[in-house]
Amino acid sequence: MIRSHLRKRRGIEMQDKIVEVNFGPQHPSTHGVLRVKVKLDGEVIVDAQPVIGYLHRNAEKLSEMGYYPKAQIYVDRLDYAAALNMELGFVLSAEKLMDIQVPDRALWIRMMMVELNRIASHFIWLGTHGLDMGMLSPFFYCFREREKIFRILDEITGSRLLYNYFAIGGVYSDVTPKSLEMIKTWLSDFDKNLTEIENIFKKSYIYVARTKGTGKLSLDDTISYGVTGPMLRAAGKKWDLRKNKPYLHYDQINFDVPSQQAGDVYARMLVRIEEMHQSARIVAQVLDKLPAGDFYNKKYSKPMLVRIKATGESYIPTESPKGEFGIYLVGDGSAIPYRFRIRSPSFANLSAAPAMLIGYKIADMTATLSSMDPVFGEVDR
Amino acid sequence: MIPVESEASSKDGVKIIYVAKENILQFLKEKKDEGFDYLLMITGIDYKDHLEVVYHLLSSKSGERLVVKAKTDGEIDSVTSLWKGANWHERETWDLLGIKFKGHPNLKRILLAEGWVGHPLRKDYPMEKKQYVNLKEDGDDTVSFEKKEGY
Repeated sequence: MIRSHLRKRRGIEMQDKIVEVNFGPQHPSTHGVLRVKVKLDGEVIVDAQPVIGYLHRNAEKLSEMGYYPKAQIYVDRLDYAAALNMELGFVLSAEKLMDIQVPDRALWIRMMMVELNRIASHFIWLGTHGLDMGMLSPFFYCFREREKIFRILDEITGSRLLYNYFAIGGVYSDVTPKSLEMIKTWLSDFDKNLTEIENIFKKSYIYVARTKGTGKLSLDDTISYGVTGPMLRAAGKKWDLRKNKPYLHYDQINFDVPSQQAGDVYARMLVRIEEMHQSARIVAQVLDKLPAGDFYNKKYSKPMLVRIKATGESYIPTESPKGEFGIYLVGDGSAIPYRFRIRSPSFANLSAAPAMLIGYKIADMTATLSSMDPVFGEVDR
Repeated sequence: MIPVESEASSKDGVKIIYVAKENILQFLKEKKDEGFDYLLMITGIDYKDHLEVVYHLLSSKSGERLVVKAKTDGEIDSVTSLWKGANWHERETWDLLGIKFKGHPNLKRILLAEGWVGHPLRKDYPMEKKQYVNLKEDGDDTVSFEKKEGY
């Protein structure tokens, strides 16, 4: 509009032209393989269509081809930044479907592990989000902190990124006294370190100016698009499945659900950072309450080989770092799942991208896209 | 009131309602007005002799959940007019299961390349036939059964 007005004043005869720009799929700030077809009027985005599917492996079909426990390695590779949270959604659904009881100690260990993984996932997000906004140093600080969590997870599970640690009926190995000691040491200065990183964001004038009021999504749109997780909480709704529909032992633990009203990129950053503080609080409480006992159901000697025939259907929603995650399992009476549907939060969150991008400048696009925290293993499945 | 064909319950205690496919749009509209403001996912199940479309609803006020199912032979009304989020879920269900949604504004494949043959989540999908995808100059995909024509 302004441009055409200027051209008229200067006497330049030029038709207003909509320019099409292709963004991705290989671009550092898409956090994976996202492609966005953007239409621009000057610098303003008039249309944005995300194109997905570049990492599609059809994990659903692959999971429908083997026994129930075999699906777990595919589930691991959905949201690879928070593999344990993905496993949790699967084992809870499968246990419900097969009516398998899980010992108390395993439930508490699971709770501690998913919270540790949630913090690690949010650290990746925070670091790369800083990178997208032109801040290089928080990236190194975040990965330094994330590395400490990985050392702990490595000690307990034996892997650093893709764990295959939860099992139908419990967990694969018990936590060792050494790992509990490591968690205590890590907890002692976690809040201090996080506050340090947090201040880099909050006190950066440029960051605040670029993110406040950018990529807004109203609460009505958020619900209409099925957006869940930190993005919903940043839009003004206090909704967390750990509080609203407690699974594991979240009802026995004190923690707060952070929420913001603005619904912009800055609000999402605040919500995620506060969630990390709260997750550390949960881990500290689990350490105090961890009961003695078995770490898997002794009825099933090898969790890998659980071949139980199941009928009916189940869907247990869990709060993953990105939003509501769960696996909708339908059994047909055999030991192989008949239908294995993944409800992936990033997929629903990303579908709201046009609503967040249209009307803003092209320069705000990387900020908005990274604030959604899409992980493409999970979007494309 | 839209007639309910039958009711059941899932293992996690959520009510499952079966509705005739002609009434699905009207029924979901009623449920949305009753407070089920979230459409969590749309999916389909291939039962070999028929297909089933499954809608997972959530009320963000009460936290109540509901599963609505409709039997179909491959075509059903789109609910994009009720929820904006239904757009991608319906495209995915079309892509992987081949269920057509009448009234959808842009019913194209979403995860697979445009031009793909078959719908992989169907139980009779031939797994041994490989398809190769390539990219044209203008950014659109091509699909071929010939190995040398794609990746």
